[in-house]
Amino acid sequence: MVLYNSLEEYRVCKYCIMDTSDPEIIFDEEGRCSHCKRYFHIAQERILPDDELKIRLGALVEKIKNKGRGRKYDCLIGVSGGVDSTYVAYIVKKLGLRPLAVHLDNGWDSELAVKNIELTLKKLGIDLFTYVLNWEEFKDLQLSFLKASTPDLEIPTDQAIIASLFFVASRNRIKYILLGENVVTEAIMPKRWSSGQSDWKYIKNVHKKFGKFKLKRYPYFSFFKRLYYFYLKCHVINILNYIPYDKNEAIDILEKEIGWKNYTSKHYESIYTRFVQGYILPKKFGFDKRRAHLSTLICSGQMSRERALEEIAKDPYSSGDLKRQDFNYVVKKLGLTEGEFERLLSLPIKKFDDYPSYASSSFYRIIRFLELNKTIKAWVQMFLGRR
Amino acid sequence: MNTRVIPCLLIKNRSLVKTEKFKNAVYIGDPINAVKIFNEKEVDELVFLDISASIEKRGIDFGLIEDIASECFMPFSYGGGIKSIEDIKRLINLGVEKIILNSIAVANIKFVEEAAQLFGSQSIIVSIDAKRDMFGRCCVYTHGGRVKTKLHPVGFALEIEKSGAGEILLTSIDMEGTLNGYDLELIKEVSGAVTIPVIANGGAGQLGHFQQAVQKGASAVAAGSMFVFHGKYKAVLISYPHINEVRKLMG
Repeated sequence: MVLYNSLEEYRVCKYCIMDTSDPEIIFDEEGRCSHCKRYFHIAQERILPDDELKIRLGALVEKIKNKGRGRKYDCLIGVSGGVDSTYVAYIVKKLGLRPLAVHLDNGWDSELAVKNIELTLKKLGIDLFTYVLNWEEFKDLQLSFLKASTPDLEIPTDQAIIASLFFVASRNRIKYILLGENVVTEAIMPKRWSSGQSDWKYIKNVHKKFGKFKLKRYPYFSFFKRLYYFYLKCHVINILNYIPYDKNEAIDILEKEIGWKNYTSKHYESIYTRFVQGYILPKKFGFDKRRAHLSTLICSGQMSRERALEEIAKDPYSSGDLKRQDFNYVVKKLGLTEGEFERLLSLPIKKFDDYPSYASSSFYRIIRFLELNKTIKAWVQMFLGRR
Repeated sequence: MNTRVIPCLLIKNRSLVKTEKFKNAVYIGDPINAVKIFNEKEVDELVFLDISASIEKRGIDFGLIEDIASECFMPFSYGGGIKSIEDIKRLINLGVEKIILNSIAVANIKFVEEAAQLFGSQSIIVSIDAKRDMFGRCCVYTHGGRVKTKLHPVGFALEIEKSGAGEILLTSIDMEGTLNGYDLELIKEVSGAVTIPVIANGGAGQLGHFQQAVQKGASAVAAGSMFVFHGKYKAVLISYPHINEVRKLMG
């Protein structure tokens, strides 16, 4: 078990609770870490005063309504059953938009997740489309990532979510995809813990190396697909950044008005996510993603540091029974024996950079450089007929 | 007695599928996760039908059934590709509570008799897949609705009862997967003719349909689409009515 770089001593940030379980963390003289400093830097730019937000939100809603006039739906939302996506559904209806919801079924939904989705959509009157991944194929991909031994075990799902959203949006000619990603509860996440959600080249290469079958039906988001959606003028908007988003307040509203039920922890609506974050990551990779989530809440003033420390001291699993149950279930569902699974967990740790990706490809480096260059970016946009 | 409300899940090559009128099997996911969700929804019992086993003359996928059994905390029945007493023995050993016979029962009713004697009536269900012709006359089909027989559902039901089977799973091919309601006439005819319980199947789309089937004489109701699809786009989302809703309806 690697807890932190063993050459340095263990340290926790004095302001948030990020620690040396991120090997790239840097502390200043006052003992503050690079993550919370970065948070405030982002917050300064992206978290606007309430009245400014109101104006921007108003303008955005107007634009979405205008573009969607005469169409059945004016925006697309993703639903997982979790707080953020459910709150997006709630907000979007409150704003008078006409959303179509998409759910990605990767074969790991919990009962609570499907119940939450059912309740929410019925209560709010939102139509649903489910994108069901082919399990045998997806299992092969998830196993490939376990074999690749990188901590970003959930990337196959993240990639499929974004790809399926764009697929459904373009098929229904919807121009706006509204997501629940947000600064105030999610801004902190060390690069070494998870990279490459949108890096199809990385996913493809990991699968090529460790997978058994061809991925025929898996929805992916390649560079060229991205260009195509860019051409279609499909926008992704993180709508929760347009409102003063308070997580506890959101939970309260959803529980009262929809009958939605909360989970024990962030992203625990999927059994695999729960197991990855609650078992594999701490055990094999020596970090606990809750640390990043709680630190973000401290920075955005939604939780005290004391509460966060209390929270992180607890086992991510509420009970040992559930942990054992999930363990058996995951092993069985992946078609492994306990011994095979333990062997996968004991493979030497690798990282994102150990496999070829868009990030490491010189061709895409040039493209990204071009994107950074304002003049060229404007020229490309003009060329693609986009203002 | 409370009416049992049974999700009926179709399997094809280890996958969960949903058909309409026994055709156009749509992939809806991994059976094991569906079982896990139904478990937590406290479902009375589950029915699994392997719809490709008889047609493709494949054997039973015992591995899958073992996985289902280890995850399924409620009684479940299995049908599809059963050819021998040995098969039944193995299924029961794996934890299947009731065995559903179809093609083999039509071909050889003596087999049902033997099975019922060996394993007890309560563990043998015979399924009747019925379809109407253009004049509304009903006929029994086998092999997933592909092979037409000369049997009439009522006549066949009487034979089934005589053979000692404990239950009949009565499916209307015309209504299956349509969400438009059961073939009530068929339920009335068959359940009126026999004394063993009849499980109505094929066509349920809302709770009211259950009530109608029970009024026509069904002892239990089964449904597929209604429990796996949501809304007008038939989005895959597993659901199950709360026990109180069912009780209120059935009285």
